[in-house]
Amino acid sequence: MDKICFTEEKGGNNCGDITVYALSTCAFCKKALKFLRENSVYFKYVYVDDLDPELKLQIKDELRSKFDREVGFPFLIIDDEKTIVGFTESEYKEEILGRQKNS
Amino acid sequence: MKEKTYEDVKYFSEMVAGKQLWILNKDEEHLEMIIRGLQKNYNRYGYFACPCRDSDGVKSEDMDIICPCKYSRPDIEEYGHCYCGLYLDREFYNKKKELSSIPERRKPA
Repeated sequence: MDKICFTEEKGGNNCGDITVYALSTCAFCKKALKFLRENSVYFKYVYVDDLDPELKLQIKDELRSKFDREVGFPFLIIDDEKTIVGFTESEYKEEILGRQKNS
Repeated sequence: MKEKTYEDVKYFSEMVAGKQLWILNKDEEHLEMIIRGLQKNYNRYGYFACPCRDSDGVKSEDMDIICPCKYSRPDIEEYGHCYCGLYLDREFYNKKKELSSIPERRKPA
């Protein structure tokens, strides 16, 4: 996973360490990223479908094994422990904005 | 292979919706994202792989997720829209509900 080149979005809201694995073609992934941007959340993301197929496979295997769940998109990880698969605005509000820390 | 334009893909989606008596998503931003996603998948894989599912570009392994996917009918019946939110049923559309991701019916490989 060290080879992955993430794009960082330096929003002012620290809601924990947030990483999003997304598909460049997926409307729900785009909506998830838009939600994070509009709420100025600090996060990083990568479009896995634009990566080398071998690396993509490795990422999916590692996510599946590490978090013990099937990989769908968007696949969001908070603080390297909690995961949210798919995009539902109310869930993002509760689980992400609810963690907002003063920094 | 001749590449598909945005208009080609929009026309394809309109034809599918018309034939199935579904309605295309009227959220223009969402619709455009899906159409562009389908266009990208067609132009790189050669078929309309669902834009919200990962594909390795092997058509024989993706027959179930070629748009309109095998799961679209049961998803529309249960949730009012298909997995990627391209096609809606009339009842869901009339309620003007916000679209959210729905559970994946496709069995893991």
